[in-house]
Amino acid sequence: MNRRTLGWVLLPLALTAAATVYAHNAICDCFDNGDETITCEGGFSDGGAAVGVALRVFDQAGKVLIEGVMGEHSDFTFAKPKVDFRVEFDAGQGHVVTIDGRDIEE
Amino acid sequence: MAATLRNRSRASLAIALIGLASTAADAHFQLLYTPEAALNEAAAIPLALVFSHPFDNGFTMNMGTPEAFYVVSQSGDTEPKTTDLMPYLEPIEWSGVDSQAAAFLAHPPRSVTRSLGDYTFVLRPAPYYESQEDKYIQQITKTVVNIGGLPGAWDEPLGLPVEIVPLDKPYTNWVGGVFRAVVLANGKPVPHAEIEVEYLNHEPQIDAHRFDPEGKVTAPQDSFTTLSIRADAQGQVMIGLPKAGWWGICALNLDDGLQHEGKELSVDAVLWVKAADMTQ
Repeated sequence: MNRRTLGWVLLPLALTAAATVYAHNAICDCFDNGDETITCEGGFSDGGAAVGVALRVFDQAGKVLIEGVMGEHSDFTFAKPKVDFRVEFDAGQGHVVTIDGRDIEE
Repeated sequence: MAATLRNRSRASLAIALIGLASTAADAHFQLLYTPEAALNEAAAIPLALVFSHPFDNGFTMNMGTPEAFYVVSQSGDTEPKTTDLMPYLEPIEWSGVDSQAAAFLAHPPRSVTRSLGDYTFVLRPAPYYESQEDKYIQQITKTVVNIGGLPGAWDEPLGLPVEIVPLDKPYTNWVGGVFRAVVLANGKPVPHAEIEVEYLNHEPQIDAHRFDPEGKVTAPQDSFTTLSIRADAQGQVMIGLPKAGWWGICALNLDDGLQHEGKELSVDAVLWVKAADMTQ
């Protein structure tokens, strides 16, 4: 209940501030669904949800291949790129998590 | 003089026998073991289900097929998800120091535990007939594992008939800290519940189906093997964690006159918590 309440307080703040500073660590992990799609999940170390947090997929040259936001379950699913890629979960300054596509397992 | 010594020897032997008998009768612990409580990344989580005396690697008891074995996973505020683990049970023989007994392993695939968050493994074993006490014992056991540091509902009851509900994250404990929990029976705190605490002194070796024959510590006296404490008037328990590894907390006799096959059934609740050294 407390976490839920905190979430409702934080969420509007997160949406109104462009460079939101979260009080807790950002956490993100991805897995390969085995059907040519990748799902990434995110959140914060206090249990806070990552709804609305930006997620970008880059190629080796730094070009954005896919861009989206974490959905209502704090996750985002995208088509697996045909090239080497990295995922960036961007919850604001100091809260960016980067995942190498080669580390993503089924 | 000689007679006095003989009498003392007899007395010592008698005390030693009483000590052994009380250990055998009092310190049963249902293990729901996995090596790590806090994983950095998603991984397949191996589990060993063994009914034994974990501090002294004592008599290991036969387990029947569990009544239920599942995991409740949850992260942040998402809805909890329950995954049945019964299909992954593998019957094995587990070796204690001088006993071998029926136990189970489980190797659920990585897909079961690939999301971030808390995973509360729950085991409802078959009642075990304890001939020394002419009654059945059923220890409903929980072990909580976290993946990636994203917490879930580790502090929520699961609605079990009896359970120990953590007040501190059970997978995030430094050595030297304390761990608190509440004992519940049918959802209500149990004032002054009888509690036993044991250190998992002989680390389970899952692949070898046995405990490490070498213990990590030695008890200075028999009563240190199983620490006996009481919950407070609110059913809360607090234990110290002086050594890295797994600690088992068991709340005894939480049933209300239950019977199994015509005998008394003692329904206990077990929770395992892990402490980590600050030197790591």
